[in-house]
Amino acid sequence: MLKDFRIRTGAVIADGAQAFRGTSDKEQKKRFKRDRHKTKKVAVFRYAYYAPAFKYFAEQVLDCDYLALPQATRRTMELGIQHSADDVCTPFKHMMGDWIEALEGGADVLVQVGGPCRLGFYGEMQEEILRSLGYDFTMLNFSHGIEQGYVGWAKEVMKTVNPDINVPHGVKQLLACGSMMTKLDEARDLYMANAGFETERGSYRRAWEALLDAFSLCQTPKEIDIAFGSFMDRARSIKLDKPEHPIRIGIIGEMYTAIDMASNLDLDEKLMAMGVEVHRMLNFTNRYTRYNEPNLRRSISDYVAFDMGPTTTLTVAAAKRYAEEGFDGLVHAKCAGCTPEIDAIPVIRRVAEDYKIPVLYLTYDTETSDTGLMTRLEAFYDMLAMKKEASLR
Amino acid sequence: MSAATTAGKEAYLGIDIGSISTKGVVIDEGAHIIARSYLWTEGDPAGAAKRVAAELAGQLEDADVRIVGAGTTGSARRLVGAMIGATVVKNEITAHAVGTTYLHPEVRTILEIGGQDSKIICVEDGIATDYAMNTLCAAGTGSFLSSQAARLGVEVEEFGKIALTSHKPANIAARCTVFAESDLVHKIQVGYAREDIIAGLCRAVASNYLNNVGKGKRICAPIVFQGGVSKNEGVVHSFEELLGQEVLVDPDGHLMGAFGSALLALKAGPVEAGEDGPFATGAFDFQAVQDFAFKTREVECAKCPNHCEIICVYRDKDIIDSWGNRCEKGAIKHT
Repeated sequence: MLKDFRIRTGAVIADGAQAFRGTSDKEQKKRFKRDRHKTKKVAVFRYAYYAPAFKYFAEQVLDCDYLALPQATRRTMELGIQHSADDVCTPFKHMMGDWIEALEGGADVLVQVGGPCRLGFYGEMQEEILRSLGYDFTMLNFSHGIEQGYVGWAKEVMKTVNPDINVPHGVKQLLACGSMMTKLDEARDLYMANAGFETERGSYRRAWEALLDAFSLCQTPKEIDIAFGSFMDRARSIKLDKPEHPIRIGIIGEMYTAIDMASNLDLDEKLMAMGVEVHRMLNFTNRYTRYNEPNLRRSISDYVAFDMGPTTTLTVAAAKRYAEEGFDGLVHAKCAGCTPEIDAIPVIRRVAEDYKIPVLYLTYDTETSDTGLMTRLEAFYDMLAMKKEASLR
Repeated sequence: MSAATTAGKEAYLGIDIGSISTKGVVIDEGAHIIARSYLWTEGDPAGAAKRVAAELAGQLEDADVRIVGAGTTGSARRLVGAMIGATVVKNEITAHAVGTTYLHPEVRTILEIGGQDSKIICVEDGIATDYAMNTLCAAGTGSFLSSQAARLGVEVEEFGKIALTSHKPANIAARCTVFAESDLVHKIQVGYAREDIIAGLCRAVASNYLNNVGKGKRICAPIVFQGGVSKNEGVVHSFEELLGQEVLVDPDGHLMGAFGSALLALKAGPVEAGEDGPFATGAFDFQAVQDFAFKTREVECAKCPNHCEIICVYRDKDIIDSWGNRCEKGAIKHT
């Protein structure tokens, strides 16, 4: 209790001490910095490996406290199922479970980042459901204000969470947060391509987890660069035993399920454990920071004439590029009820036929069993391995 | 037969333990089937594996062979694999592809309908190039046919013959087992002839399969149809009608998973003599499998809210295998 008190009043005591050093009232007023920090606890839903960036956003951009969620468990899923409509897409259910656990853990502000599909409407619905359950909280919904551009979005953020944000500082930190997400993607790409071939099992995983820890502690753009640099050093020094022609699989699919490990039951890890070089073009970087849909669509103009929705252009473009690069197979992952990706499937089929590349289609819901997934992945791997062996002979 | 001697030709055992039936074969070094067994699992995979082993041992009574390796496949592959000390434990898709492409190197499409799952495997130049498996729904599989046979008071083995006598198969909604069943009840109550209903069911199974599992796959001839349901002439006939092509059914088609896993064991080579278990002497001891008591227990791990159900397999009093834990916390030590 006492310790807590000291920490909170620490800033005041320090300022007070300065005041006693014989400075005039005027000078003191000038030096006395407004405490912009809010002690609200901000929580973001669990999504893939981006938690360190969410923490950075809560602490450095919003200037609030961050509430870290522990790993999702079966209870999370059960809470989500219980409080969601049965036929809503699976990410909605995962998020509902996350929100309830966050509120139980003491969250004051929930951040719903929205998304390029129905996800954009989920914020309001989830807020409604949670309020009707009797929870009290503020929801920062990225779907609000964004219709007036970034300025509108920023106003919304300040209005709902922290009106005292130092705007230039906040913008700088928001860009740093974006750069952290890009670096997470870059690190993950390297990890997925190589972890299946490390001579000492678990080396990559340890390096990756160290990076997540380091990113969680970052407060400035410089610290992000340093943490990333030391990960790259460490990752490059990991000894690999990679065959000349490794089996390469590209994961394509829907924004949430194809990336989020709790949703896809560790799809990428399972493939890496079989000794596969895994690629996944779909990530934050390629969908947001560097997304240029019309130009991306040029590469698939033989197949697609217009933008079909959130990630379909990226899905088809990735499928085609992997096929052209001679990948051994593709895994298409989506949640049950994902309309845009269902639309993409016939196009992927055509790509697969033209380039003769096998595709494993996976649809995940809350009941998807690990055993069933393993059977399919093993069979897919066996098939690719036998095919490869025959072609190299 | 004394399996523990070093004399005799080398042979390999393959067991496919499905949800409904359990299949076993023994092949010699030239990959010829020298013993075969097919019986119902009856909800007791360990017991079924024992019965299969006993039947195979009976057929090999006079043969001068010793079994130096074993493979398992099917949904109980892990359990029975641990039981018999299998060298290869492989999923049923791979086992079927390996078995069928060995016997029919020219095959292009493998249709497979089992008790609870169905799959399609596309083959090019003897190598599987694409496959699909039913995902959310067990519509049109063997267990659906069995339950409908019970409703109609007919042995499921008789289904095919009865279906072929129909001239005008009833049109039964095929998209889903639940709809198919209510449609079926309706047609029974309206008074359709039994053979027409049965033929309609067979047709529903075939069209459901092509619409769900075979969706988007190019089905090229030669086509091989296997799995328990391939024994049903009515379904074979419906497939031929719907595809407009001849559909091949191998007399050993229902054993293809077991044959494939025996082939994989043959490829893996002879097992090294272990300290205990059925391969303790370097050759498979059929008697030992009968003598051991196998038990499965489920333990719920309480170390985190995931509550993983960990399956432990015991041979007499020793844990020989366990699985189901998602992390190291739930790992159980076994011998």
